[in-house]
Amino acid sequence: MVPGPPSPAAAAPAHLAERDIAGLLFVADMYGAQLDQVAAVLGVRESRARAITGSWRRARYAQSARLGPGGPWIWLTRAGLAACGLPFAATTPALSRLAHLRAVTAVRLALEATSAYRAAGAFWRSERRLRARMGGRVGLREHVPDGEVHWPDAASAGWAGECWAIEAELTRKTVARTAAIMREILTRTGDYGCPAAQVRVAGRPPRHARVLYLCSPAARPVVARARGAVGTLGARVEIRELPPGAGLPPAGGAEPPP
Amino acid sequence: MIRRYLGLLAALAAVRLLARLIAVTAGVALVVAAAPVSLVAALAVAGAWTAGWPPRRLYHAALWCLPMVAVWLAATAVAARSWWQVAAAPYLAWLAMWRQAAAGSVVLAAATIAPAAIPLGLLVGALAWSRRIYAMRTGTGGLSPDAPAVFDRRQWRHQVRSARARIAAPGAVPLLSRSGAIVTGAVIRAVGHPAPPLAAIPYRRLRSHQVVIGATGTGKTTLLLRLWAGFLARGLQRHADGAGRRPLLVVLDCKGGADSRRVADRARRVLRDAGARSTAIWPDEASLSLWALPPPQLTTTLVDMIEHGTGGAAYYTDVMEAVVALAVDPPTGPPASAADFLARLDAGWLTAAYSASPDGEEAALLRSAFRHIGDIALRFRTLFRRLGEGLDGPGGFGEADAWYCILEGTSEIAVAEAQARALVDLLASYSAHGQGSQREILLAVDEFSAVARRLPIWHLYERARSLGLAVQVSAQSWQGLAPRDDDRYRIAATADGGIWLLRTPHPEPATGLAGSRPATDTSRRVLGAALWSREGSSRMRDEPVADPAIVRSLDVGQAAYIYRGGVTFVQVKRLVAAPAALAREPAPAAGPAPGPTAAHPEPPTPGGQPRAAPPPDAGSLLDEAFGKEPG
Repeated sequence: MVPGPPSPAAAAPAHLAERDIAGLLFVADMYGAQLDQVAAVLGVRESRARAITGSWRRARYAQSARLGPGGPWIWLTRAGLAACGLPFAATTPALSRLAHLRAVTAVRLALEATSAYRAAGAFWRSERRLRARMGGRVGLREHVPDGEVHWPDAASAGWAGECWAIEAELTRKTVARTAAIMREILTRTGDYGCPAAQVRVAGRPPRHARVLYLCSPAARPVVARARGAVGTLGARVEIRELPPGAGLPPAGGAEPPP
Repeated sequence: MIRRYLGLLAALAAVRLLARLIAVTAGVALVVAAAPVSLVAALAVAGAWTAGWPPRRLYHAALWCLPMVAVWLAATAVAARSWWQVAAAPYLAWLAMWRQAAAGSVVLAAATIAPAAIPLGLLVGALAWSRRIYAMRTGTGGLSPDAPAVFDRRQWRHQVRSARARIAAPGAVPLLSRSGAIVTGAVIRAVGHPAPPLAAIPYRRLRSHQVVIGATGTGKTTLLLRLWAGFLARGLQRHADGAGRRPLLVVLDCKGGADSRRVADRARRVLRDAGARSTAIWPDEASLSLWALPPPQLTTTLVDMIEHGTGGAAYYTDVMEAVVALAVDPPTGPPASAADFLARLDAGWLTAAYSASPDGEEAALLRSAFRHIGDIALRFRTLFRRLGEGLDGPGGFGEADAWYCILEGTSEIAVAEAQARALVDLLASYSAHGQGSQREILLAVDEFSAVARRLPIWHLYERARSLGLAVQVSAQSWQGLAPRDDDRYRIAATADGGIWLLRTPHPEPATGLAGSRPATDTSRRVLGAALWSREGSSRMRDEPVADPAIVRSLDVGQAAYIYRGGVTFVQVKRLVAAPAALAREPAPAAGPAPGPTAAHPEPPTPGGQPRAAPPPDAGSLLDEAFGKEPG
């Protein structure tokens, strides 16, 4: 299942192309990604992506293993994270979060594939980055979104300058809990990791201009009801279905659906 | 006859003068003959004076030279193969030193005599420095009667300078010593305590009650943060070693406001660096569930959270308690939230809940209290509205390594009092019944007397003691410890872990607890203007171990630690935490601008709730990425 660690002789300093760097940063940001999604990031076929991630492994920048259904997962080692200059703790993607991680990655890929996103040069700020910024200071009642999208001021889109919160919902929570999270995201004024006194400051504009919910069919009704429950704040909540390929393939399936 | 007598006097004076001259000459000759030793001794005394060292440090330095002396003697024995030459080695080295110095080889001469001269010089210097300090302490030294006081003030300045220099060196003051003691800073001066360079207190003292008194701006928060971080770091270390239970720090900051929130943020960063996985800030970011209390305790807590009177009003208190007990512990189980509880304070609900036994005691109680239920419900509805959602769950003390609870004791005293009562009851319940029995808990309360009307601090102390909790009470002054002087003394006198005093205008009651020590007072005879005889008399008296005058004049970051009849003055080392992340700058408050900036988040309403104007339509983008919005 797990390819063995490369021999010391094979661990040579990696010569990384621009595509490799982008791929490594993407994988680091998302905690880890499955091979088909890495292939989509690199813009190559899966067989080529397998070879590229193999070179990352040989350079000891990444590890890969079949953690669940579908293709192998790739994640960065401590050396890889250090090479990227990212202050994250190197961990294997948690089995309990594989489905969620895949869904969030699929959302990011779908968003980044749009012409408006590319034209604006928007930036995806991942949950991992948000948590790293907070250190261990995540309040017990504090919710961290699955990602933020920052739209540059200079973009020509109507939503230029906005910051969006992204939420991928696979499972049904209670309406009350979902509404509480919505309200928290929509009323927050401070950045993640800011002093407690600045999290919600009266008179300051909200941090997130809108929150984008990408839901599984099971979770969609609950999210829709929660949007209704938050009153006028609900005008800033967008609900869409998760893009194709966001779910883990059924057990036994070799590859996730396209 | 007179001439003879005058002649005798003159002869005696001449003899005395001659004897003095001989003694001085002999002394000078000895100093010159033993020049290397004299030089080292002079340097040692000068160094000790400049740095404010106690003589003990010079004795230790002399002792640490003994290995060098041993090696030197061994080398001499190997080279000479004669015990006589080993015994005479210092003398021979002295002779050789003079010969080499006369020949102009000063460096070689110094190297030759160093193994003998350095330890001897340090020893002589230590003796001289001890003698000087003793003379000043007893009032027999110095040229004028106020010389001892001047000497002491100057030495204090030197000691402070040394302590500041010691803590300024990067990495010189770790949080924990090798033995696991919590290092608070550098020792300035110690009386009745050992005086190592760094002040460290064993972990077990933080597991006992402590008192911290210091006015605003004296460095109290810095000291407290260091103690809390040390408690968590050492507790986690012990837990990892299997030597202790997991530590839990609970801070009740009873001032509230923006300042408390700044301290909370700093505490979280400091505690994280000390190893705490999570620090919950209540009620801003975390909540606790009052409804997790066992029903009997929940009833008591709920009733105590409501302000009620005495005398005739006690009747209504009893009625309220009876109704609350009925609502809290019906056959269907206790309430799960404030809304659930308020829904139960309804005659219909209660009648239905106890309908199974219409002739029972509860039903009789219900009939008696029937007409008061509406009023009771109104009072609790008001209370819960003012309390907010901080006590309405979910959450418990077990979910974090540290809790920083902010009570608005300055602006919302009644609310803060109710919150304090509930928090203490929750912690007591957690400690006694929950997993808290598996935790080593330190409860730190700051300015608790501000909210202690319904829960006397002495009661808190007693409860904590019975539950095995350590309590650290801090206040801005002696009077801030408790409303009554009796309680203040009881709190301070039972602080087994010691008392920390920062600058405070009235330290006498606390310094008095350090006790006194014998001291010598010496009087001198006045011979004339600015002339003082060496003759006089001495007497013993008691002086306080912890000098209140010093405490009153402590600088920022200096503290006196009183423990078991001794005091250590400490220059506290500030813990530097990881910097806080900065919030995004708010957008200019100007009206909507044309173009892209118009899409910036909408300006908030005056109440603080952001206005929920619909944002610009991003449907085209979302449709392209994810398809149409599902119907």
